[in-house]
Amino acid sequence: MSRHLRPMRMPDRKTTGEILRVEGLRKVFPTNGGFLPVLKEVNFLAEKGELICILGRSGCGKSTLLKIVAGFVPPSSGEVLLKGKPVTEPGPDRCVIFQEDALFPWLTVRENIGFGLRGRHRKRKTKAVEVERYLKLVGLGEFGDYLPSEISGGMKQRVALARVLILKPEVLLMDEPFASLDAQSREEMQDLLLKLWQELGHTILFVTHDVNEAVILADKVLLMSEVPGRIRKEIRVNLPRPREMESSAFMNVSRRLHEELRG
Amino acid sequence: MRKRSARVQSAGAARFLPAVIPALFLLGWILVSATGLVPTYLLPHPLEIAQTGYTYVLGQPGEGPYAGRFITDAGASLSRVGCGFAAAVGVGLPLGILSGRLSVVNGLMSTTVNALRAVPGITWLPLALVWFGIGMKTSIFLVALAAFFPIYLNAATGAGQVNPTFLQAGAMMGVKRLRGTFAILLPGAMPHLMTGLRLGLGISWAYLVLGELTGVPNGLGAVIMDARMLGRIDMIVVGIIVIAVIGRVSDQLLQAGMKFCFKSARRMP
Repeated sequence: MSRHLRPMRMPDRKTTGEILRVEGLRKVFPTNGGFLPVLKEVNFLAEKGELICILGRSGCGKSTLLKIVAGFVPPSSGEVLLKGKPVTEPGPDRCVIFQEDALFPWLTVRENIGFGLRGRHRKRKTKAVEVERYLKLVGLGEFGDYLPSEISGGMKQRVALARVLILKPEVLLMDEPFASLDAQSREEMQDLLLKLWQELGHTILFVTHDVNEAVILADKVLLMSEVPGRIRKEIRVNLPRPREMESSAFMNVSRRLHEELRG
Repeated sequence: MRKRSARVQSAGAARFLPAVIPALFLLGWILVSATGLVPTYLLPHPLEIAQTGYTYVLGQPGEGPYAGRFITDAGASLSRVGCGFAAAVGVGLPLGILSGRLSVVNGLMSTTVNALRAVPGITWLPLALVWFGIGMKTSIFLVALAAFFPIYLNAATGAGQVNPTFLQAGAMMGVKRLRGTFAILLPGAMPHLMTGLRLGLGISWAYLVLGELTGVPNGLGAVIMDARMLGRIDMIVVGIIVIAVIGRVSDQLLQAGMKFCFKSARRMP
C-alpha cells in the first residue's frame, strides 16, 4: 500500500515546472447576520502537466477554491499565482469546465467550439480548420451542426472540453464536470480526458467528491477538510496508467482515501 | 401505419386550428343577421361588410365616400406606428437592458417607470393634444409611450435573468464587455426581448387608434371615427377587421424579421 501512496510534503523549493501556486488563501462569505469562513489557509502548488484532483465532501469549499483560481471570485486574503503573476480576473489562460451545462444554446456545437476564437485575429479558414480538429478530437466529428439541446449530457461536456482546449489554456479547471452524467458516460469522459491530457499535456485542477474518480485520474490528490476548508493532506497516486478499478493496488488507494475522507 | 396516419391527420388539423374560432364567429354572425335577432343598423350582414371592405380596399376613388382610401389610411397609420414603435424600441431596449444589469440604473428608473406605468395611456391624450396638436405627432407620442413599458420591463427581466454561468463562461474565454453584451447577454435574453417587442407592437396599434380618433384626416382610426359620425356602422366593422388583420400580420412580420436577423431568435427554445 505504501508503495503507491506517500504523503507529499509541501514543497519549499522553487520547482522548475511550477505553473500555479496558491498561497494563504482565505475566503469568508457574509451570511445573514454573520460570517461564514469557507476556506482557511489553502496552500498548494501545481507543476506543469500535473493532473491534480481536489477531493472533498459537498460543501467543503472546493468549488469556491476553483472559482477563486478561475478569477470569478476574489479571495478574502491570500494569492493565486499563475506563472508567478497574481490572478485578478477570469481569462483564457485558466479555462473552466462547469458542472452544469454552460454551452450557449443559440449556437451549434461547431459555433460553440469556435466562440472563444472569434476575438483572436486569425484567418477565418485557419479557425474553421482548428474547430474541425477539436471537434474530431473529442469524438464529435458528425455533430458539428447540432444544437446543444439536441445532444446528450456526455456530448455536451465533450463540447465544453473542446471549446476551452482550442484556446490552449495553461490550466484547465474542472468543477465536478462529470457528476451529472450516467456511470457509462462518466467512464467514457474520464478516459477521454486522460487521453487528451496525455496528448496535449495540460495542467488540470479537477474538483470531485468521488474517490474512485480521483484515483482514476489524479497524479496528486489534495484532500480537503470539512468547512472551513483547507488542504488536509496531499497524496501522490503513483499507480501506472491505464488504471484498473478492479486491481488490488487501485482498491488499496481508494480505501485509504475513503478512510482519510471519513475522519 | 395507423399511428403514422393519425399523426399526419393531427398535423393537418393543427393547421386549421387557428381558423376555428374566426369561422365559428362568422357562422354565429351570419345566423344572428339572417334570423333578424340583431337589427342590421346595429350589426350589418357579413356580406354587406365584405362589400364595404372590398370597395374600401380595392375600389376606385369616387365610387363611394370611402372607396380606395385604404392605401392612404393604412400608409398613414403604419408610418405612425412605425415611428412610435421605433422610438420605444430605441429608448426602451437599451434602457431596459442596462437596468437589468446595473442596480444603479434600476434604482434610478424603477420608481419612475412603475409610477408612470400606472397612468392609463388615455390620460396622456389631452396633454398630448395641447403639446403636439392634432395629427401625426400626437399619435407617435402615444404609441411610443405605450410601447415603451412592455419593451423596457421585459428587456430588464431578460437581461437580469441571463444564466450567470453563460457570462462566466464568456469571461473565462476572454470575452470583453462589449462583445459579451452582443454575443452573450442579448442572445441569452432573447426570449424576453422578443416578448417585450411583440407586446409593445400589439399595444402600439391600440394607442395608434386612440391618437387617430381625435380628428386627423387620415388613418385607420380616423376612418372609424368618421364612419361613426356618418352612421356607417358597416365601415366601422371594416375598420376593426382591417386593424385586426394588420396587427396580426405585423406581429408575424416582426417575428419573422427577428428570426431572419438573429440566430438566437431563430433557435429560441
